[in-house]
Amino acid sequence: MKVYLHYALVLLIITALACGILAMVNQQTKPIIDRNLQEEENNAREQVISSAKTFEKQELKNGKVYYIAKDEKGKEIGYTFISCGRGYSSDVQIMVGIDTNFKIEKIIIIQQSETPGLGANCIKPEFSEKYTNLEYKDLTVDKDGGNIKSITGATITTRTVTNAIKKDVYDLENELVGITFKQEVKDELI
Amino acid sequence: MEYIAKILIMAVSSIFINNFVLSRFLGLCPYLGVSKKLDSAFGMGMAVIFVMAIASAFTWLINAYLLIPTGLEYLQTIAFILTIAALVQFVEMFIQKSAPALYKSLGVYLPLITTNCAVLGVAVININDHLNFLDSILNGFFGGVGFTLVLLMMAGIRERLEKAEVPKSMQGMPIALIIAGCMALAFLGFAGLKLG
Amino acid sequence: MSSFKELSKGIFKENPTFVLVLGMCPTLAVTSSLQNAIGMGLAATFVLAFSNILISLLKDLIPSKIRIPGYIVVIASFVSIIDMAMAAYLPDLHKSLGIFIPLIVVNCIILGRAEAFACKNGVFASLMDGVGMGLGFTLSLSVVAIIREILGTGKIWEIAILPQAYINEPMLVAILAPGAFITLGLLMALINIIKDKNKAVKE
Repeated sequence: MKVYLHYALVLLIITALACGILAMVNQQTKPIIDRNLQEEENNAREQVISSAKTFEKQELKNGKVYYIAKDEKGKEIGYTFISCGRGYSSDVQIMVGIDTNFKIEKIIIIQQSETPGLGANCIKPEFSEKYTNLEYKDLTVDKDGGNIKSITGATITTRTVTNAIKKDVYDLENELVGITFKQEVKDELI
Repeated sequence: MEYIAKILIMAVSSIFINNFVLSRFLGLCPYLGVSKKLDSAFGMGMAVIFVMAIASAFTWLINAYLLIPTGLEYLQTIAFILTIAALVQFVEMFIQKSAPALYKSLGVYLPLITTNCAVLGVAVININDHLNFLDSILNGFFGGVGFTLVLLMMAGIRERLEKAEVPKSMQGMPIALIIAGCMALAFLGFAGLKLG
Repeated sequence: MSSFKELSKGIFKENPTFVLVLGMCPTLAVTSSLQNAIGMGLAATFVLAFSNILISLLKDLIPSKIRIPGYIVVIASFVSIIDMAMAAYLPDLHKSLGIFIPLIVVNCIILGRAEAFACKNGVFASLMDGVGMGLGFTLSLSVVAIIREILGTGKIWEIAILPQAYINEPMLVAILAPGAFITLGLLMALINIIKDKNKAVKE
């Protein structure tokens, strides 16, 4: 019995010390990690609508966060938001910038760990450029009968990116200006 | 009905498309080490399925009800590995008491599982992918099934390979890796599968 | 002299990947680029060196019956430290290594060295052993990664090596999963041939 108590005590001390040290390291690194994430997001946001000076945080009725981009005079020039979808082997996050006519200005893939050489090619500019000037109704992959050419060997990634953006642009446009009588598109989204 | 379809999709995607061994590179040590005999491969596979499923459940609960509410997410790694190690111990003791026959066939593989990265891997993947409780268990279970499937295939091939004339420098690990490569190539074909 | 031996044995004679065949998961998973391979190798070296030091210091305090859980806690702590440090100071690398950083905990090399070396030897020898093994691991990861990255993308560390025509249509399979297995298999066969040749020369 005494032996077991001794064992338990030793393990307890080691674990407690370990947790203490980790807590200290965490305290040091947590603010830096958070700041990195924030900076990365802000950078991406500034890139997708490059003419914007300030961003104003807003929320849709369904809780989706988006930002209104304003130029130096305070005029609304577009919206940005992050779209997410399940890719082939990872969650893909895309920073999307659209103008006030709900046409895409630019997209940036901010997070993905898809297959290197296939799905991971979605971070290349050749891919994201395809989305420029498209509206939500143009956002369909060629394999599903649309016009967006899939990345070679990575239809799933392309479809994920496309559909995630499509849904969010649709939601935003629908709530801000209202989309009427486009039931067939809505069906497709659901 | 919809739920059954969802389970099927999860099964196909974690067994074939995102196979733990061949596309996520998890659990390679037992895959290359234990896969010399079919029956031992089967025993190892069953033990891994079992442990992966319950480890998924326990680590999910610990993360959701212990680490997140207390803000101790940075202890994730340490908490998960201890949970898995303790779990494997308990499973070993439990099986030894309640099913000695099963223990005889699985017993030797259980201690090896603590350091099988597929187990810790599935726990971390469940959290990173924000799966819910049931999906986590299913992910663990089917991940284990996928592991067992390729382990058995590998063992079958290697049993036959013993009779083949392999060049001296390719014997042992090199040829096993090349076979694994060919299997991975075959599994890459599942990548184009359209689900749902 | 002897401490140099402890250091160098991990790099060649007892190379963890090619000779001891330990830690295969990261060897295959992160070697799709040289950058990832070196990052992973150095992270593992850090954990190996420090856990070896600590375990060799604690070897008389931890009863042998509970040594494995004790070692695991020590290793997991260092892994968490490097995990957080990388997330803070090298966020891009941290992102691309992904779940393989927490998985250093179950890398058999580290627990294996704790069991086979650090719990029997002095602090300095253990440190040397850890650093040597870690560097050997880094070296073998880098070799695999260089081959895969050149074949799979035509570039190394973002610098074009092969002609542009190749870069446009590279041998993609080399950086996909099958390429990892096949590259490592062929490399091991090559090492076997070299070993046999050396033996033949000696005899």
